[in-house]
Amino acid sequence: MAKHLLKFTVNGKDHALIVDSHERLLDVLRDRLGLRGTKEGCSTGDCGICAVIMNDRLVNSCLTFAIQARNKHLTTIEAIGTEENLHPLQDAFMKWNACQCGFCIPAMILTTKLLLDQTPNPSEQEIKASISGILCRCTGYYKIIQAVKTAAVEIRGDN
Amino acid sequence: MRRFDMYVPANFDDLLAYIDEHPISNEIHLIANGSDIINRIQRRQLRARTLVDLSGLDELNYVKKENGTIRVGALTTISDLISSSIIDSRLEVFREVASKFGGPAIRNVATVGGNICAASSSEDLLPVLLVLDAKVRLRSKGNERVIPIEEFLKGKRQTDLKPNEILVETMFEEVDNRSACAFEKIGMRNSLIIAFVNCAVYLRVDESSRIEEARVAFNRVAGKTPARAKRTEEQLKGTSITTNNVSRLEPVIRGELRTSPDFRASAEYRSDVACVLLKRAMNKCIHELEGR
Repeated sequence: MAKHLLKFTVNGKDHALIVDSHERLLDVLRDRLGLRGTKEGCSTGDCGICAVIMNDRLVNSCLTFAIQARNKHLTTIEAIGTEENLHPLQDAFMKWNACQCGFCIPAMILTTKLLLDQTPNPSEQEIKASISGILCRCTGYYKIIQAVKTAAVEIRGDN
Repeated sequence: MRRFDMYVPANFDDLLAYIDEHPISNEIHLIANGSDIINRIQRRQLRARTLVDLSGLDELNYVKKENGTIRVGALTTISDLISSSIIDSRLEVFREVASKFGGPAIRNVATVGGNICAASSSEDLLPVLLVLDAKVRLRSKGNERVIPIEEFLKGKRQTDLKPNEILVETMFEEVDNRSACAFEKIGMRNSLIIAFVNCAVYLRVDESSRIEEARVAFNRVAGKTPARAKRTEEQLKGTSITTNNVSRLEPVIRGELRTSPDFRASAEYRSDVACVLLKRAMNKCIHELEGR
């Protein structure tokens, strides 16, 4: 079975790996690069939990072959904020207690970060649309939506 | 996961040469960004030994307009399509489809060409392309042909694609001042859902607001195949949009649909809902035409 050289950038760092044709991006990120912040949910593209940012767009890493990430720039939850210096979204999620089990949160943070990068003052409808592909079974979404609103104000700095 | 090889063509000519030597079969399958491929492999619906990865062929990602014809490259994603300035307010129907098409992460990878070639009733784009009377351009080594999408779609997961061909683009006429197009879908929820039924309508009216041409498509006209509802279209022709009463068409629609039941919905429910969706889509078109 053919092996491929996969060159790509993950969280600003260049990587070159030998991958099999059938390897999924999700497994390469978690098992080969040790980036365990990206979670595996349904594995069928229904729950959105495995989402990562590829060339400024959200993709489901469980549905993407690793080789298809060649020459792409990826961002995973590990690149968002640090323990000492949280991203405003992470801060707001904590303030609103928007994380219960936390399993969907990496994907929630990534999709809402993309939203706020492009739309600094989103409507509630736009927030809902941005998280529409990601299932959360704990919060009922209310607190997540509130947290995104709070973070948007924080990032715009107009409070 | 079942093991297979992935072939990554260096460029478009390399791809044409490769599929000329290795024609598409149960063993060899073309993939765009592959949003439904891993699922189909894991469900053993796809048993190819070699996948050919088209995702790097950026030259097939475009939306262009030339002499009133809009051309969309096969590798254009749903997100790319709706962010194009060529898809203007007359073609808002594509944004309507997109808003109910998977979720953001799916729209970023699902392609127009992939939707057409997958040829299944779950592809929301197909009814819209059918009512826009879209054509598809098919290329093989040293050959090219253009056929209506209606002829291209042969049945559930069946297309007219020859083993050494690739679909490179779809094209359709722009929606002019006297025409309107609308899409409706119903499923269990708004995101990430396969429609029980979906419906697209295209209307063109003459100066006295009579319907000159009507095109209607559902994703499940005959079992699980998206297709035009020609008898319904005939009945709409010549009627005035101001006195439109779609309800009287219900027997025609029901007679024309061959809906089938599955775990999502019963056949009867699908037929009931199809009538409602047609009414709503007609009303949207009429509303738009009257507003001009």
